[in-house]
Amino acid sequence: MDQLSGIHPAYGLYLVLIISGGAVAVLARSLVRALSGLIITLFGVAGMYLLMAAPFIAFMQILIYVGAVTVLIFFAIMLTRTSEGESGSESGSVGRSFLGIWAAAFSTLVLAAVVVRHMPKAIPLKPEASMGRLGEFLTGPFALSFELISVVLFVAMAGAVLLGFERRKAK
Amino acid sequence: MNYLVLYHLAALILFGLGLYGITCRKSLVGMLISVELMLNGAGLALVASSRLTPALDELGQLGTLLVMGLAAAEATLVLAIILIVSRRFGTTEIADIATLKG
Repeated sequence: MDQLSGIHPAYGLYLVLIISGGAVAVLARSLVRALSGLIITLFGVAGMYLLMAAPFIAFMQILIYVGAVTVLIFFAIMLTRTSEGESGSESGSVGRSFLGIWAAAFSTLVLAAVVVRHMPKAIPLKPEASMGRLGEFLTGPFALSFELISVVLFVAMAGAVLLGFERRKAK
Repeated sequence: MNYLVLYHLAALILFGLGLYGITCRKSLVGMLISVELMLNGAGLALVASSRLTPALDELGQLGTLLVMGLAAAEATLVLAIILIVSRRFGTTEIADIATLKG
């Protein structure tokens, strides 16, 4: 139990943020509310990154996810809003949601059992990795993946633009 | 139980919520939101594993950064696909997106 004393009380707050936000994101009937839940969860995860003394990743999380990805999802909601009101209502059959709960709970519990039983000993928090060191790593051993991710991003953006233009030609 | 386990359990909660969302959501946008939840869980697990074990620190942090880049690319592409689907079928409910009956 003495190992648990190393945990910061803010961990509980972030865990509550993650669970409540995630529940809203998955269960809310309105997609805009689900997106708000997702944003709360993203902030909770960013807080956990800060707790682990990884501020660079925490701010990247807020910049990329909260700044870019949620805006994209919001555009998706806005541009596909159908005339019959809120889309994404959860009036499905009970059996379907039961199967969903079963699948999620089973895989999560199996993984949790593995995690609890076989987790290696944690070491005290290491000193924070400096930005310069991260940059050296990104241009050294990670150079290929860094270039590849830029190519993937470019191809995805170009493909999205291409898909968007196709309709006008067909019209 | 140590705090490494606690962070991994938080990541697992995100994974479970995302999996439930993917199976039960009725619209494509809802499924996209669930996928983002699962990707966040993966990033949290990566950073926790690299920060709290003797493993190399930069490995996990930069891996998470790459996951974020992939998530951004994936969200862009899925947005385009959702737009095409909603134009062609007039809806993004997955039950209605079918050209074959059966």
